[in-house]
Parts: sequence; structure tokens; C-alpha cells
Amino acid sequence: MSADELCYAGIRELGGLFRRRELSPVDYATDLLHRIERLDKSLNAYVTVTAERALADARAAEAALRRGDAGPLAGIPIAYKDLYATKGIRTTAGSALLADWVPDFDCTCVARLQQAGMVMLGKVITHEFAFGIQFPGHRFPPARNPWNLDHIPGGSSSGSGAALAAGLTVGSLGSDTGGSIRGPAAFCGIAGLKPTYGRVSRAGVVTLSWTLDHTGPMARSAEDCAFMLQALAGHDPADPASAHEPVTDYLAGLEGGVEGLKVGVVRDYFFDGVEPETVAAFERALGELGRLGATVRDVTIPSIHATPAFMVIMLTEAFAYHERDLRERPELYGEVVREKLMAGGLFRADEYVQAQRLRAQLREDTARALESVDLLITPTALGPAPAFATVLDPDFPFAKSNMGPFNMTGLPTLAVPTGFSSSGLPLSLQISGRPFDEATVLRAGHAYQRATEWHRRRPPVRA
Amino acid sequence: MPEMPPDVTLDEVKERARLAGLSIPEARLGLVRGFLVNALRPIRALDTRTVRTVEPAVTFDPKGGPEAGS
Repeated sequence: MSADELCYAGIRELGGLFRRRELSPVDYATDLLHRIERLDKSLNAYVTVTAERALADARAAEAALRRGDAGPLAGIPIAYKDLYATKGIRTTAGSALLADWVPDFDCTCVARLQQAGMVMLGKVITHEFAFGIQFPGHRFPPARNPWNLDHIPGGSSSGSGAALAAGLTVGSLGSDTGGSIRGPAAFCGIAGLKPTYGRVSRAGVVTLSWTLDHTGPMARSAEDCAFMLQALAGHDPADPASAHEPVTDYLAGLEGGVEGLKVGVVRDYFFDGVEPETVAAFERALGELGRLGATVRDVTIPSIHATPAFMVIMLTEAFAYHERDLRERPELYGEVVREKLMAGGLFRADEYVQAQRLRAQLREDTARALESVDLLITPTALGPAPAFATVLDPDFPFAKSNMGPFNMTGLPTLAVPTGFSSSGLPLSLQISGRPFDEATVLRAGHAYQRATEWHRRRPPVRA
Repeated sequence: MPEMPPDVTLDEVKERARLAGLSIPEARLGLVRGFLVNALRPIRALDTRTVRTVEPAVTFDPKGGPEAGS
């Protein structure tokens, strides 16, 4: 296997190489650090590279592998979104407000993955407070899409998406309040899982909107997301929303295929404004799932058009979180982000309550749809990644989102690539399941990826 | 109670900002108005008498544990 192929290897493959001593975790981490040094100048995915830490982690993993007491994640490199608190390592949340924050603790997710033996390569860039696009003059230059540097990698987990697509890490953690795991996954041609609300701890991860915030794994395949979820999932008393629901074995049934699964497609709302190439790729994917033995049929969610009320909840909660700093130190926010956050201060209390009532209705209607099918499948984004020139217009509005409904409902949702646009940019679909049924969601994603090659295509990354 | 207007006007955005004590540059008011129009559309279309109230804020875990009663 060439060095270029090796940097795109998956967790199962790398684990096998490590265990058979055909590859040393230390050598592998060293190779990836060199690759980051060589390629990230044009991508800006990393804000902090923790080379010494990576080599120390890799040596510890190698020792554990030699002792024979290493788990499946031992020696696997990871990059954390710069929203996750990391002990002794600067954590900026992409903001000048936290430019010098060096936490004295690891957040729960980082602690769990490090405990599992993962190798910390560094911190990857996030949009400011997981919210705004980085405009010129921002403290950090924006990450670029490895498939086309003139296009955005999506956000807010922009660094995670870019680093994974470019083979600059094997795993990453993102956060998803309105699609910030699935959006970059869609735009960068990788996989991203937003687990069920409460499944993975958010303790120690900078808040955007606490009733919508989710944390979860990003990787190049559904299988790698399953490996990471296995280590991440489980109750955490430090997160008030953390669930007590028992953790499933996400890998045991992964090879089970989709034979006999009932898949629902919501034709209303989710196809409004979706570009024809994305729809065509989506329909081909449905055909593929049908060939694999799934039964596909249309379902309805009557209250789906209430989705934009999502913005009332997100902006109000974000304003509540940021109000003091917005009033006392407004100059430390990026200009456009500041005004978007301030918009959250303009909603009335009754409007926030009504938005939550609509959300409850959406949750009930979606649960009803999932009584007749096992999964819902929808296009992740409306089209491929837009160009920077488009989104950097300060008046560029928030586009209609296919991802927000699953933050409102809290359902587990996985984004996987489904093809490419004529301009060579990735396209994606999202698979949603019942609460805490990540196992079925991942199983379907894995079955689709075994049958297709979209996730194996590599961008033309050059130094 | 008078019927709610279907859309948010620029004057309404300015009034909301004034009441909230927030200063939003004139050039951005259109952008902010866009957010409000989009976000409030389903709420303004809602007949609030027909939707259930949100679930109670206080729940008790019958199994006990540290979160019980919180």
C-alpha cells in the first residue's frame, strides 16, 4: 500500500496492520504529521498541531498493542474540533474571545477517545462559536474544500471535513446544532453522524444552542463512525441532557445489510430547492438500497414546514449564552456573526415558546412516520458546496436546511456521499432513525458504502 | 387581540432592537429582518389554540439516581 493510500485507510484496516506489527502507530502518526505540514498550508484545516502529544499518544498505543490490551481505536489518529476543551491545549472556539483559553481539563468526549488509545494530531478549525462563516479579517483563515479550494468545506465543523477529505486525519469530532457535522460531511465527501440527542456528552464543548447541540463522530465511512461512537456513547452526569439509555454494540450488526428494512422518503419540504444533480444522485441511491433488499416508500410529516421555527430556538438560545459578551465586548466578535447573534435578542418570549410547541409537534409527527418505516432518507444538502464568493456576501441568508429537522427532533442521522456534481464536488444523503437506533442507521450507511465507491474517491490535494 | 401581521417590517426590527437595547447597524437591518421573517413565518401562521403545550419542565425519574427530581 502506498503512503497516499495508507493515509486514507480506515480504522479496521489500520488496527489490523498495527496488531500484525506491519505498521507502527508511531510511524503512522509521523507520516500524517508530515502530510499535515506539507498540505495544510493550502487547506487551513488545523489551528493547532500537537505533534509532541501525537507522538507520545502513539508510543503509548504501541506499548498497549504490544501488551495485547489495546482496543480497536488504539493508535488511530484523531483531530478535535476546536470547540472541544482539551487539557493544556489552546481551545479557541474560532473566536477572539477565547483566543488564549487553555483549559485545565479534557471534555468528556476527548477523555473517552484518548482513554480508548486514540492519537491526538491537533485541533481543527471551527467557524466562530460554531456559528458564523469566517469573513476576511477573521482571526483564522477559513478552511478550504479539498475538492476545490475556491469552495467552502461547509461548517461549522469545517476543519474536520477538510482534514478528513484530504487524508490529514483518520477520525474527527464535530458538533451539530443545525447540520454542522452533516454539512461538512456532505460538502467534503465524507461521513458524519449526529447521534440521538443525549447519546454523546456535550460536557466541556462550547455551547451554541443547548436544546439543539449534538456532538458526534466524523470519518470517511459509516464503519469508522461506528467504531468511534462505541467509545463515545454512554451516560455522562456532567451533561444534564445525557441519556441513561444502554449503549448498543454498534459494530456487532454492522454487516447485517438492509434486506427487509423499510425506508421512508419524505417528498414534502426536503426536495424544495434541491438541485437536479442532487436529486438524481439521491434517486440512484434509493435504487441501490432497493437492490440491496430494502423496501422504499414515501411517508409524510405533516408539520415539516414548521422547520424554520428552528431559527427562533437556535438564535434565542445563542443570544442567551452570548448576551453578556455581546453587550460588553462586542468588538471581539466577527462583524457579521455579532449581528446574527444579536438577531436572537429580538425574539419575544412567547415566540420562543411557540417555536418549542411547533418543535414538539414536529417531533410527534416524525415519530409517527417512523412507526411505519425503520429509517428516513433525505438529501443532506440542497446541492454541492457553494463558492466562498457566494457565501461571503454579508447579506447571504441562511439557506433552507434539510438538516435542521433532525436537530429539532433529536433523531440519529448519518450523512454519506452519494455521488459527484458535474463540477466535481461531492453530493450526499442523510439516513435518520428512531431515537437511540444508531445501530440501524449505521448498518444502512455501511451497506450502502459496501455497494458503492463514492466514499473511496480522493480529492486532488497537492502541496 | 388584533391579528398578527404576516411579515416583519424594518420598522418592527428597529423597534425590537430598541426594546432589547441592542444596536444593529443600519446596513445589517435587512439581513436581520430576513432572519426574523423566515423564522417567524411558521409561528405567525400557527393557531396557538390548536397546539399542545410544551411538556412539563420538571420530571421525576422513578428509578432515582442523582438526576431524580431535578
